[in-house]
Amino acid sequence: MGRKKAVLSVNGKIRDLHSLPGHYGWFTALTSFLPGLFIVLVWIIFGSNLVDNFTLAALGDEIRSLSNFDRALYMNDIHNLAIGDAISRPLTNSLNNATNFYLRTQNNLLWIFTLSAIGVSSLLAIFSFRKISPELRSRNLVERLIIIMLVISSSIAILITIGIVSSLIVETLRFLEHVSLSEFLLGLKWSPQTALRADQVGSSGSFGAIPLFTGTLLITFIALLVAVPVGLFSAIYMTEFASPNARIFFKPLLELLAGIPTVVYGFFAALVVAPVIRNSGEVIGLEIASESALAAGLVMGIMIIPLISSLSDDVISSVPQSLRDASYGLGATKTETIVNVILPSALPGIVSAFLLAASRAIGETMIVVMAAGMAANLTANPLEAVTTVTVQILALLTGDQEFDSAKTLSAFALGLALFTITLFLNFIALKLVRKYQEQYD
Amino acid sequence: MDKTTVQELIQPTIKARNVDVYYGETHALMGIDLDIAPKTVTALIGPSGCGKSTFLRCINRMNDTIPSCRMTGKITLDGEDIYSKNIDVVQLRAKVGMVFQKANPFPKSIYDNVAYGPRIHGLAADDKDLDEIVFSSLQRSGLWNEVKDRLDKSGTALSGGQQQRLCIARTIAVNPEVILMDEPCSALDPIATAIIEELIADLKERFTIVIVTHSMQQAARLSQKTAFFHLGKILEFGDTSEIFTNPRVEKTKDYITGRYG
Amino acid sequence: MTDLKQNTASLKSQARLKKRYRKERLFKAIGLSGLLSGLLALTIMMISILSTGLSGFSETRIKFDIYMDPEIIGSTDGYDETEYRDHIAQINHSTLIRNSLKIKFSDVKGRRDVFNLQKLVSSGSREEVRRLLIEDKNLIGKTIAMDLLASSNVDMYVKGQISRDVNQSERKISDRQLAWLDILESEGRILKGFNWKFFSTGDSREPELAGILGAAMGSFLTLLVTLLIAFPIGVASALYLEEFAPHNKWTDLIEININNLAAVPSIIFGLLGLAIFLNVFNMPRSAPLVGGLTLALMTLPTIIISSRAAIRAVPPSIRDAAIGMGASNLQAQFHHVLPLSMPGIMTGTIIGMAQALGETAPLLMIGMVAFIVDVPQGVLDAATALPVQIFLWADSPERGFMEKTSAAIIVLLVFLIMMNGLAIWVRHKFEKRW
Repeated sequence: MGRKKAVLSVNGKIRDLHSLPGHYGWFTALTSFLPGLFIVLVWIIFGSNLVDNFTLAALGDEIRSLSNFDRALYMNDIHNLAIGDAISRPLTNSLNNATNFYLRTQNNLLWIFTLSAIGVSSLLAIFSFRKISPELRSRNLVERLIIIMLVISSSIAILITIGIVSSLIVETLRFLEHVSLSEFLLGLKWSPQTALRADQVGSSGSFGAIPLFTGTLLITFIALLVAVPVGLFSAIYMTEFASPNARIFFKPLLELLAGIPTVVYGFFAALVVAPVIRNSGEVIGLEIASESALAAGLVMGIMIIPLISSLSDDVISSVPQSLRDASYGLGATKTETIVNVILPSALPGIVSAFLLAASRAIGETMIVVMAAGMAANLTANPLEAVTTVTVQILALLTGDQEFDSAKTLSAFALGLALFTITLFLNFIALKLVRKYQEQYD
Repeated sequence: MDKTTVQELIQPTIKARNVDVYYGETHALMGIDLDIAPKTVTALIGPSGCGKSTFLRCINRMNDTIPSCRMTGKITLDGEDIYSKNIDVVQLRAKVGMVFQKANPFPKSIYDNVAYGPRIHGLAADDKDLDEIVFSSLQRSGLWNEVKDRLDKSGTALSGGQQQRLCIARTIAVNPEVILMDEPCSALDPIATAIIEELIADLKERFTIVIVTHSMQQAARLSQKTAFFHLGKILEFGDTSEIFTNPRVEKTKDYITGRYG
Repeated sequence: MTDLKQNTASLKSQARLKKRYRKERLFKAIGLSGLLSGLLALTIMMISILSTGLSGFSETRIKFDIYMDPEIIGSTDGYDETEYRDHIAQINHSTLIRNSLKIKFSDVKGRRDVFNLQKLVSSGSREEVRRLLIEDKNLIGKTIAMDLLASSNVDMYVKGQISRDVNQSERKISDRQLAWLDILESEGRILKGFNWKFFSTGDSREPELAGILGAAMGSFLTLLVTLLIAFPIGVASALYLEEFAPHNKWTDLIEININNLAAVPSIIFGLLGLAIFLNVFNMPRSAPLVGGLTLALMTLPTIIISSRAAIRAVPPSIRDAAIGMGASNLQAQFHHVLPLSMPGIMTGTIIGMAQALGETAPLLMIGMVAFIVDVPQGVLDAATALPVQIFLWADSPERGFMEKTSAAIIVLLVFLIMMNGLAIWVRHKFEKRW
């Protein structure tokens, strides 16, 4: 409501000012609209928290002294009651009162914000309207404003990173209050089954992440074993041997693999590849888990083939023609040229393609969730079920959880580990590529 | 060519007859006839885009690597049609080496750069033999004294002139019959150019050299024969001294005297 | 002497050459086999999905004569429209169907057998009977031939997914039921038709009733939010970085940042969405709004990178021309550079959207994984998305969901191919070569 009104009031202004040259209109509109918008944004983002806090403050000590979890439940009931939904406890007088208070507060705050948005907007509108005179360099002011908006937009990328890093680090620190860092990084046993409430039995789990790291590495290794030769040789064939027409035909087909959603690969791994592997294992008398690392790794390998092939394709094509000419001019065959001249020159680029592919495989979630399983086995045997960092993050956080428990917090610690590893790999890969590009520029 | 010299009595190494080359739709060379005598330096001159480099690349079939390029006509090397089916490109290029406009050493050590050709063609019986080939090639290209202490350093770390001489050493290591040079000095400073010109004059004793150049002085200094290309045709071909002092075609005269180009 | 030496040399080199060419052929073959094995994997995947999924678009129906027994329906005299509808909604449709089935197979006695008989038709057929009755109250007391939706197991059997050669205990359909089906089959009462429901309903616990409209709608709303957030911000930052930003440490930092963000695993964005949008801002769980915001953060780098490339491709002469005519730098950008680079920006955006459409993990993290029957109407309703639906169905133990999963995958892939096709079309149609 408040947003609508603020927008409406400013909209009216825009129309009023339209008789003036466009820039003056924009000037007034922007100077008045933006602060109003800002207030509305504050309401949208923090409004519900504010209302909750006021309501909590008004509630008796009895409620405030409850545990975090119960208090959240109580607030939830108030919310539900306020919008007329079902609640989890008998309707009491105090709850009813609290809800009424909640609704009143919400209403009041909404009005305050709406009025202040409209007020600020119209004040500024009047102010800027009065300021308008032929001498005012409104175009420059408007342009400066637009540039500031552009700067803000481009800083959002930084904000995202800050958001990621800070949320991961904050939650990880909270996790480390429950579990020591050395236990997390060096522990060999992973079973995060803490109880929901402290008074239940078996409330402590073990949070040794080594089995997750080894599982991730095992699957990544298998994936690279598949994708590196296939991807690299495809790239070599397409850049050096295939005719232009064949290239036009094959390249999009291979890149189609990159466009397929990972959930589809997961389905393929779980329902086609895994049974085939298990059955063929039975034929030769091997016992293979139905959710084996092999199936997940194989399919993940297929998924990253296009990544390796297109990146390698790029670096191989950017090896200067003069080097090829030199080699051909000496009477070298294509193969000799590729093996002795092109591949060594393109090596940094190709290595960076491998690193990016590895980082992609480490961070991949859906395939392993659907095909690799949940069992945190510490094994190097690709025929057994293993679990990965990403699978556990997902498993820990799906479903309703108490947010403060070590179990859910451990997901953020795993996320931080995952983020650090992939960031490191990407960083090195980008460095290598840049160095490689400089070499031939 | 009406004047018979001793040189022309010798059977020419390379004979081009009625060579036409197309890049896609573009007709780059039209009806080229040219005889190149052994152990001489033949200069190909002419304005940019006249087809002289194209013709040079025809002689060792470097144009094969360009998909849109088509060629008709006949080029023979020692009497053998180099475009016939039973000629192997790889062998041909071992016989007809090439030095390019821009020095293009492989990003490998100096030693490996020179040893690359002998290795792929199996010219050296053992490591000692290979060392010998590398030594003599570098020696002959006048680079040995400058690089003998850093044979394991990258070829790309050398100066421009040294790089180009490395490329020449790399080419002669395969012991070709003919060396094609595509404006080998155009990216070099005058001092480096002088060194390379000296080198070319020496190499003539053992190799047949065809050189494309933009520099009239260079053509005049180095070559015994000169061919003047214009718009995909050879307008004039003859002894260098003849062409530079007494050109028969007006266009040649204009070009040599620098009236256009 | 010389000749002889040359001869042996050339003999040796001939042999060597042969070997070199053998190596060449071998290498080429290895390269080709690499390429082909990649394509083979693609083909196998497509074939396995198509072969399991295409049957998901058809459904099985069984023709039964349903007696609209007035005794079960009860008296409807004097009811007005609404009262009638409420009444019909409450009657026991199950009994109506059961009795009619018992009329058809009069030899079936005993609770178990009757129960199994009724298992031939889907529980959704009750809904079909009800709808028919509500539409026309004159049907009461009459016997109507209805094509009732078969249960998933019957559907699977008719489609050949359940073999009758298997031991009874190991298949979902009993010998007795098979016998009934044989009779129905011989009377031509088993019909196959296109499964419209699949496109017009939401999720369901019963495979034969499940549809993807809810998930598709969820995906659409999510992508809408993503587009509205990521497109303006992405284009604005690309424009700033490419045209206005001074080259200093700060812009370098932004640039490195964007490149790295593009390679951050999607699940990390899910964690971010969970921690920031859900826990700090208290946004509703499972809502397309949150999903869209999360995916927007993820697609932003893609859009920025491709927009920058598109803006860079506009030759500086255009800018110079505009500025030379007295336009401000900003006017030159908005009037000339941006319109000219729009095709490239659009292409990048569409590809980014296609990626977002296929993304699953971050949506799971913010709770768009719940079982939701209703089709979402707005960005604040609880919803799932197409890939999440695929994930949920792939996890379901019922056999009938396997073909639904594949069918949903086919739909998703068709959407993706359409989006990529659109991107290619935009590029070809509007691309200018400078």
